[in-house]
Amino acid sequence: MNAAACYFVNGMESETSAIARGLRGRDPDLLDRLIEQYQHRLLRYLVYLTSNRELAEDMFQETWIRVLERGHQYNPEYEFSTWLFSIARNLTVDYLRKKRPASLDGLLDEEEGVSLDPPDTRPSALELIAQQEQAERISAALAGIAAEYREAIVLRFQEGMALDEIAAVTGAPLGTVKSRLYRGLNALLPRLKGAQA
Amino acid sequence: MKRDPHQQARELIALGSQGLVDADQTWLRTHLDGCSSCRDYAQAAEQLVRSLKSVSVAAERALVQKTQMRVHLHAEQLRQRQDRQWLVAMSCILVGLSAAITTPFLWRGFQWLGEWAQVSSPVWQVGFMVFWISPALAASVIFLARGIHLTDTNRMSRG
Repeated sequence: MNAAACYFVNGMESETSAIARGLRGRDPDLLDRLIEQYQHRLLRYLVYLTSNRELAEDMFQETWIRVLERGHQYNPEYEFSTWLFSIARNLTVDYLRKKRPASLDGLLDEEEGVSLDPPDTRPSALELIAQQEQAERISAALAGIAAEYREAIVLRFQEGMALDEIAAVTGAPLGTVKSRLYRGLNALLPRLKGAQA
Repeated sequence: MKRDPHQQARELIALGSQGLVDADQTWLRTHLDGCSSCRDYAQAAEQLVRSLKSVSVAAERALVQKTQMRVHLHAEQLRQRQDRQWLVAMSCILVGLSAAITTPFLWRGFQWLGEWAQVSSPVWQVGFMVFWISPALAASVIFLARGIHLTDTNRMSRG
């Protein structure tokens, strides 16, 4: 390992160790900082996972409560975001199973035609309209594919997670993650082409 | 059986360029140089990734503040619960220790009382047992009642 890579790995370890220490002590300042730091990423993941902004916001809050309760279980050898996203995912899947006995795949039936409804960005003129249209088109296309494919695509291409991190979050084998990405992309591309036409 | 090179190329494209080892990247580049349909697929995938990154889903300030407030409140509740548990654990240890020390004296005391009152051994021994076990029984009843009360309160607040 070269010096730069070694510095990076050690830096990450010390950061995750500090997080693990703070979580064990239920440090409120650390939790405030983490909530601020991961607010957009976590909410975006939950919005795409649930296809429902209101539910995503509820799950957002519950996820942080769970982080507080289970902070001692966090292993600093892994990225904090991986652990955070897996908690969010488990909570959401549990909630949806309790609400109606179905797996994540079962979400699809109710999602037909549901917009993921991204919020308005800054008010400006034509650029805003174009951005909004683009966001709506992508959201609609994402809502139309299977939830497990959508999740893999969002984690890979929006969150920039590595394949093994996605496997850790979703609890799926690496091969399954790869196949979900491939199938997800194949399902998504024609929908976007169709929307653009 | 030899794999379809187009499917193999598309599978590699779907992993994203950062997910590929050098050998796969080289193979993919060579394949894309000679295959226009896979090149189109790669361009469409690249465009999709760019579009995905441009979509903004932002958490509102109110949500963040509400979450922080809830986390603070819950942290305080957990701290109080932990303090209570610590108190209960310490009490149990103290009670256990004092029981271990005082039980032989108490036994002798009941024995002396039994002889003084001229009752048979089983009678004063039963008296000793009732006296010895009654604080624990009372505490169990109180904890049980409190537990049921808390369960009902939680159910009502959730319902």
